Amino acid sequence: MTDNTLELQQEEKQFSLAKDAFDRLIANKLALVGMLLVVFLFFIAIFGPYITPYDFLSQDLMARNQAPSWAHWFGTDDLGRDIMSRVIYGARTAVIVAFSTTFLSLIIGIFMGSLGGYFGGKVDGFIVWLIDITMSVPSLLLVIVINVSMKPRLVNWMDEQFLLTGNEFYRNTILVDFVLVFGSLALIKWPKAARIIRGQIMSVRNKNYVLAAEAIGVPTTKIVMKYVIPNSIGPIIVYISAALGEAMVFESSFSFLGVGVRPPIPSWGNMISDGLRVWQLYPHILAAPAAVLALVTIAFSFLGDGLNDALNPRQWK
Amino acid sequence: MTKLLEVKNLHTRFKVRNGYLYAVNGVSFTLDKGEMLGVVGESGCGKSVSMMSLIRLLPPAAQITEGEVLLEGQDLAKASASEINTVRGSKVGMIFQDPMTSLNPFMKIGAQLCEGIMYHKKMSRAEAMKQAAKYLDLVGISNSEHRLHEYPHQLSGGMRQRVMIAMALLGEPELVIADEPTTALDVTIQAQIVELVKELREKLNMSIIWITHDLSLLAGMVDRIMVMYGGSVVEEAPIDEIYKNPRHPYTIGLLKSIPSINTVAGSRLPSIAGAPPNLFVEPQSCPFAPRCAYRQERCTREIPPLEPVADDSAHPKHRIACWVDVTKVNAEPKEGSVL
Repeated sequence: MTDNTLELQQEEKQFSLAKDAFDRLIANKLALVGMLLVVFLFFIAIFGPYITPYDFLSQDLMARNQAPSWAHWFGTDDLGRDIMSRVIYGARTAVIVAFSTTFLSLIIGIFMGSLGGYFGGKVDGFIVWLIDITMSVPSLLLVIVINVSMKPRLVNWMDEQFLLTGNEFYRNTILVDFVLVFGSLALIKWPKAARIIRGQIMSVRNKNYVLAAEAIGVPTTKIVMKYVIPNSIGPIIVYISAALGEAMVFESSFSFLGVGVRPPIPSWGNMISDGLRVWQLYPHILAAPAAVLALVTIAFSFLGDGLNDALNPRQWK
Repeated sequence: MTKLLEVKNLHTRFKVRNGYLYAVNGVSFTLDKGEMLGVVGESGCGKSVSMMSLIRLLPPAAQITEGEVLLEGQDLAKASASEINTVRGSKVGMIFQDPMTSLNPFMKIGAQLCEGIMYHKKMSRAEAMKQAAKYLDLVGISNSEHRLHEYPHQLSGGMRQRVMIAMALLGEPELVIADEPTTALDVTIQAQIVELVKELREKLNMSIIWITHDLSLLAGMVDRIMVMYGGSVVEEAPIDEIYKNPRHPYTIGLLKSIPSINTVAGSRLPSIAGAPPNLFVEPQSCPFAPRCAYRQERCTREIPPLEPVADDSAHPKHRIACWVDVTKVNAEPKEGSVL
């Protein structure tokens, strides 16, 4: 073997673990489909308002309940609003709620989980107890209770603030819906994140390389940042992917029941709810948001499975 | 020679579900500059825990209850967390048992090597990398500049152990604690690592504590051997003394159980009967007494102190913790003990 080929082989060996994981993810066809759909969803959510053919609120009473056509790809609803525009705007609602919920639940989860995992003992016992209690509360019930008890107060408070300060920000009561939805969802969902992070920290903390780093005097903050977190990140990424999909389904269910995002702001959930009343006459009003919701859920689940395989070292060949 | 390390009456225990596990019970020894000490004993005899206690690299459940660890006059047992962090890596280096799991799989070799010295010596990344490359060369890793940019999984077990050794040496410590560094390696690599350590010791003139359960490995390598049993030191002597003139019944048993080239094929290897001591109770007597063929009544009542042997002028630096003089008493099988 000449020096040249040896050099070449060594160059080939130079790859980063992240790139390696990405390659494995791409190689998995279902995961690739899931990822493309998710990327498309995010694109739609961000740029939706610029690409929708119609405004999501503009009504055209001359064109009510129209079946899908070239002018209205998904048809129109009972007020003559373009369903495709509303579905696209609903993606924005879903993505906002999903991201805020996951972000909030991760923050609470990371805080609680690392506290329990790192300190152990009584602190851990308390946190596990808290996790168990939170998980045992029916989520639907909790959201309804929070919504009913908090919403009037919040709206009143915002009205007062508007009167006091005259700031336009406080007139936007739609904000209350959003805050309540992802606030209460985060309250329900943090235990799952906390459990994963607690378990990860507990196992990584006892790894030999952490001990080895301690033995050369690496400061604790650096050990956490460079040794513990990178080695715990795999399951957390998988959790994020699963949680995003789950949060969208939750948001839709709550909006469907009328405790989430309320009309006229479109959410797939309240669109399905609207469509349900007339589905025997105009099935497309129900079908469009339902199909999109199903597709997105499946996409996140494919992506989650793919990530799980790609990031799990035991699966590496 | 000047004294580097002095350990006095070290006690370490672990908090367990209902009570304590007494892992180290009064270990005392000294180590000179440039000296190499072998620590031998069976699994669970406290050899690792006692040496880890020196730099307090212990799990949260462990606590040092008594004793002093004087490294150049500084008492490490009472040092603050930040003081001990400075000592780790810059004055005392550690080499671990399992090189396969001792490197962070998500960090390049170079970054991992540099992490300690960048902090201790306030070096820039480039300087630290240069230093790391130098030490990789020193431990016999070829193409070191290139290796710095590789991940641990791209190296073999022997190479990783060399990297671990480089990591321990990088801070230019005066004392290196090697905790069974060859146990996880195959025999040829084991020999290479032993040779490497011997060589490095001469080049860098550092003190080494080599922990092992393999007495035969230490021959021709260390200056002095310390035999541990049940959390305390039972015998300590220069290496030739230990092999030629063992005085503690446990050491005698250990030496007998090493297979030699003269052992008849198919014959049973001698072993020490009985089980290791129960460390959940604080020892009140000689820990080896229940398994000892030389046992006397006194052995089950009092803990023998570690003292020079009776005829110490003929055998300098030889200390044992035993009430019985094995040169004068014959071994006789006792209940529960066979030798």
